[in-house]
Amino acid sequence: MIKSKQIQRPQLVLVVDDQEINRDVLGAILEDDYEVIYACDGKEALDIMREKAEKLSIVLLDLMMPVMNGFEVLETVQSDDLLKRIPIIVLTAEKNAELQALQMGAADFITKPFDMHEVILARVGRIIELSEGRQLISAAEYDRLTMLYNRNFFFEYADRIYRYHPELKMDAIILNIEQFHLINDVNGRDFGDEILKTIGMEIRSFLSETEGIASRFDADIFYIYCVKQDDYQKLLERFQNCVNNLSENVSIHLRMGVKPWREDVEPVTMFDRARTACNMVRGNYQNPLMIYNDSMRTKEIFNQRLLNDLNAAVEEKQLMVYYQPKYNIQCDPPKLSSAEALIRWKHPELGMISPGDFIPLFEGNGLINVVDNYVWKEAARQVGEWKNKYGFHLPVSVNLSRADIFDPQLIEKLVNLIKNNDLKYKDLKLEVTESAYTDNAKKLLELISNLRTLGFEVEMDDFGSGYSSLNMLSEMPIDVLKMDMKFVRNIEENETDFLLVKLILDIAKYLNLHVVAEGVEKEGQLNLLKDAGCDLVQGFYFSKPLPPEEFEKLIEKEISIERNEN
Amino acid sequence: MTLQELYEKIGGDYEQAMRVLRMDKLLDKHIRKFANNDVVEKLINCENDFDPTVLFESSHAIKGVCANLGLTKISDTASDIAEEFRPGNERKMSDDEVKEKIRYIEDMYKLTVDSINEYVNQ
Repeated sequence: MIKSKQIQRPQLVLVVDDQEINRDVLGAILEDDYEVIYACDGKEALDIMREKAEKLSIVLLDLMMPVMNGFEVLETVQSDDLLKRIPIIVLTAEKNAELQALQMGAADFITKPFDMHEVILARVGRIIELSEGRQLISAAEYDRLTMLYNRNFFFEYADRIYRYHPELKMDAIILNIEQFHLINDVNGRDFGDEILKTIGMEIRSFLSETEGIASRFDADIFYIYCVKQDDYQKLLERFQNCVNNLSENVSIHLRMGVKPWREDVEPVTMFDRARTACNMVRGNYQNPLMIYNDSMRTKEIFNQRLLNDLNAAVEEKQLMVYYQPKYNIQCDPPKLSSAEALIRWKHPELGMISPGDFIPLFEGNGLINVVDNYVWKEAARQVGEWKNKYGFHLPVSVNLSRADIFDPQLIEKLVNLIKNNDLKYKDLKLEVTESAYTDNAKKLLELISNLRTLGFEVEMDDFGSGYSSLNMLSEMPIDVLKMDMKFVRNIEENETDFLLVKLILDIAKYLNLHVVAEGVEKEGQLNLLKDAGCDLVQGFYFSKPLPPEEFEKLIEKEISIERNEN
Repeated sequence: MTLQELYEKIGGDYEQAMRVLRMDKLLDKHIRKFANNDVVEKLINCENDFDPTVLFESSHAIKGVCANLGLTKISDTASDIAEEFRPGNERKMSDDEVKEKIRYIEDMYKLTVDSINEYVNQ
């Protein structure tokens, strides 16, 4: 283990006295414990202090000296931020001078003659210790990059303002940089730091004009606790403007969430709500400001309820798996080919809850694994049951969320489901949303390759809803492309949309990928897709998602068609 | 002549000097240097023009050096003069009394320097 003494900087002491005997005596007292350097007058002392400001631990300063006396040195040091951090002990025998020196910023005094060596050593040691302690506290208090408070100090001071100055109506503001990790990755950390410094400087400038405090709370998240402002749009523009000119090639977008003052709301809660507001405008470059309001509070309470009730939902089977069929439209009549398992929540008090309400919520806090695991288990069991009941081979696809990618037991869990339900790997297809490919490309590609090696088929869900590029497709280890419903929606009316769909189908064919068109609702859409060579279709035209007992009717119908054909 | 004998001869406080300098070697070095220290000369030289700033600064310097060297008689007298001319202090002594103290320092200084030279040249 490294001892603390070893990581301390060497302690350098400057002795300033015009009398050689005094310099010698102090040198003799200190030299065993410190590195000692000397100056003969105040001017020489200041020169050395400036040159070695970062290294000096303490200055022992005589007051009466030629050229420049000790008082003049103290006066200069007091007005110099760099020198002010170096503690000074004055060397004197006069009571009046002691008081004056202390008032001028001296840390302590040593009386002449220097006959109490141990006292001198102890005083020097104690003042260095105090000063270094203060500097450590100061380093912990501020973020070095932005010179704003660190989070703990920020909340301590915000609490004090809240408790001791209730007359100040303080708003909570959170400022965040869009895609900061990408900016860092692409342009380097130095450029990222430059952005943070620039914002920090602008926040400090803003706070010099109003009452408030600020913190760099986390990487690219700034907290500002300040008295109510008239125009937050203008304030956001001010911060945005300060980063606009940092680079011609990089667009930097800020977003801001504000929780306006309300009596008896503590800073921690204020900032929780400002954060909620700020998160709501994530990625919204057109309108990056959100002021917290009561409907958000209602939504928060609703969300909290869902989070609390999830375990009960799993245990009491409130979560239900519905199935939406996918039809092969290149046959006549179209043939039931597979299904997608979709979650539904029938809450005993809140009624049916839309997956749109709880999936993003659980995705945001990691609980999505619980939902996904439930769906996989239930879907695998169902596929097995239908296989036994009808002897009918109906693969079902289930969703794999971003969070699942990091589950070290994922493969083991999926393999067990296949084995326990006596399925083949192709009976359980895995859908991975397009944006997950761009988020964690390396990890995901590795995982998908392993799953495909085992025999699972992988579908890229929501293709075209995000920013995936066509050339990315050629590198993806996938079997099926699920074309997002927004491509299909207007293909009847808009020729460009239809041409785009045909283009995607052509590329997929070239890459040997099957395509599922999602969101097909009309016969006209179906016919166009069929003519364009699309294999599979999913959507309300054939069926909405159905509970298993209703879905069985589709299976029975399919079996009856097959029998008639034979 | 030993250092201690020198101190006895000049009426200095050897114990006090050793409390400050701790080693004969260091005391030897600085007592030799004292013979060439010009602060006493400065004080003596201003006996005529009586410049209060020089009187204060030089007596203050003598006081500090001599206190460290245990030359208490010179140090105490220099302290009286320093306090007399410290900026902001009210004068308490007549000029003649001050001059008398300067002459005392001069005499003591001579005695001390002569004895030091004797110690050095033995």
